[in-house]
Amino acid sequence: MASQYDRAITVFSPDGHLLQVEYAQEAVKKGSTVVGIRGADIVVLGVEKKSVAKLQDERIVRKICALDDHVCMAFAGLTADARVVINRARVECQSHKLTVEDPVTVEYITRFIATLKQKYTQSNGRRPFGISALIVGFDNDGIPRLYQTDPSGTYHAWKANAIGRSAKTVREFLEKNYTEDAIANDSEAIKLAIRALLEVVQSGGKNIELAIIGRKQPLKV
Amino acid sequence: MRRAVEPQFGWEGVRAVMAATFFGEVVRAPCRAGTEDEEEEEEEGRRETPEDGEVRQQLARKREVRLLRRQTKTTLDVSLLEKYPCSKFIIAIGNNAVAFLSSFIMNSGVWEEVGCAKLWNEWCRTVDTTHLSPTEAFCVFYHLKSNPSVVLCQCSCYVAEDQQYQWLEKVFGSCPRKNMQVTILTCRHVTDYKTSESTSSLHTPFLKALKTQNFREPPCCSLLEQPNIVHDLPAAVLSYCQVWKISAILYLCYTDVMKLDLITVEAFKPVLSSRSLKSLVKNIPQSTEILKKLMTTNEIQSNIYT
Repeated sequence: MASQYDRAITVFSPDGHLLQVEYAQEAVKKGSTVVGIRGADIVVLGVEKKSVAKLQDERIVRKICALDDHVCMAFAGLTADARVVINRARVECQSHKLTVEDPVTVEYITRFIATLKQKYTQSNGRRPFGISALIVGFDNDGIPRLYQTDPSGTYHAWKANAIGRSAKTVREFLEKNYTEDAIANDSEAIKLAIRALLEVVQSGGKNIELAIIGRKQPLKV
Repeated sequence: MRRAVEPQFGWEGVRAVMAATFFGEVVRAPCRAGTEDEEEEEEEGRRETPEDGEVRQQLARKREVRLLRRQTKTTLDVSLLEKYPCSKFIIAIGNNAVAFLSSFIMNSGVWEEVGCAKLWNEWCRTVDTTHLSPTEAFCVFYHLKSNPSVVLCQCSCYVAEDQQYQWLEKVFGSCPRKNMQVTILTCRHVTDYKTSESTSSLHTPFLKALKTQNFREPPCCSLLEQPNIVHDLPAAVLSYCQVWKISAILYLCYTDVMKLDLITVEAFKPVLSSRSLKSLVKNIPQSTEILKKLMTTNEIQSNIYT
C-alpha cells in the first residue's frame, strides 16, 4: 500500500516510486499557470497572476523573478520554497561572477537549482522543494534558452512548456500551435504565449503578467 | 495444577497456572484455559460501572442526529420523507456538489426549506453541541414550492459512520416509498481512483456513476469500475436504496482540487441532461454567473501556493 512508503523521503516504494517527490509534484499543480516560450530572438515567460485580497499589497506577490541581468525564472508551487531557491540562485549567480569573472550560463544556474532540489530528495528529515521552475535567458553566445526543473531535481531544455495548474491543457495547445512561423518574430512569440495562457486563465487578460528577454536586451516585465 | 485467582501481569483472560515441563520442573506458565469460576470473575471486572453507562449515554446524546424545522425550532417527529413525500430526491454531499446545486438548480424556482439535520462529530468546527446556531445547519432540506414532490438536500458536513444510520432513519424512515428516484452528487480526490491506466492520462475532473438495480435509465457518464468503492454518506444512502429497492444513482466527481473550485463544479454539468434534473434547469448562463460569484466570495486568500 502506498501509505506505508510515503512518510519518509529516503524510502523507495516497492514499485520504485519516491512518493514524497510525486506528492511534491502535486503541490506544484496547485500553483497558477506559467508558460514559457523560446523564440528565435526572444524568450517569453507568461504567468497567471493570482488575485490578491483587497488589503494586500499587490507588488509583493511576484511569480517572475530575475536571477541575474540576463536570466529570469518563474515558478509554480509553494511560495516559501520558491523564495529560498531564488535567494540561493541569486547568490550563486553573483558568486560565480566574482570567482570566474563571467556571468552564469542559463544551463549552469539551472543545473545548480536542480542539484539543490535533488539534494533535498536524498536527505533524511527534509522534504523536497514543492516548486517547478521555468528558467529563461540568453547566454553570451546569443542563443535563447528555456529550461524546466521539477521537485525531483531533473531539468530539461524545452522549446515551449507550461507548469502549474492546467499545465497539460496549455502544453497541448503549445504542441499544436508552436511552429517555426509562430516564433519567427518577437511579437508572434509573445502572442503565442498570451494565447496559450488565455486557454486556461479564467478572468481574462488583466490577470496575465509577461516577462520578455531579448538578445542583448534587459528583462522587461 | 493450581488455579491462579488474580490476573497476572495485567493480562486479562490469561491466568497463570503451574505447569510441569519436560524436565520435571514445575513452573508458572501463562494459560488461557479458563473455567466457569474464572469466567465469573472476569465478568465482575468487566461489568459496567454506572459512570461508564452515563458517559456512554452522554456521548450518544452528543452524537445524535437531530432533524428539525428551523423556522419553528421544533423537532420532526416522523422521518422527513414521511412528512414530505417526494418523487424526486436530490442529495448533494460536499462543498463542490452543494455549489453545483446552488447555482444550477436552486435558481430555477422558489425553494422552501423544510428541515435541517444537525449533528456533531469530531470533524465539526463548533465546540458547543447543545446550542448550534441557525447559521450552522449542516444538512438542509428544501422542496420546490411549485412542485413539492421534488426534495433537495444540501449536505456540507461530514456524517460519521455511527451517525449515518441515524441520518438515514431520520430522513428516509424505516419503511420508505419505493416509487421515488434518488440522485446523489458528491466528489472524491482523484488519488483514490484506482485504474490500470497511467494516471498522467486521466483528465481530471471526471464523472463516474454508480446505480442501484432498480435504476433503469442510462446514466449520464460511464459507470464506476472495480475495484473502486464509494465511501461515507453517499455509500450509505446508495446501499439503503439498493436494500429497499429504490431507484437511485450516484454521480461521483473525481477531482484534484478538494476545496471549492470552478472547474470541479462545472464537471457536474452532464448530470443536467438526466431525466430527474432536466426539468429543474432553467437558465444556464445565469447559473454560470451565480457560480462565478460564489467562487469569488468563497475564495480564501491563501498565499501558500503561487
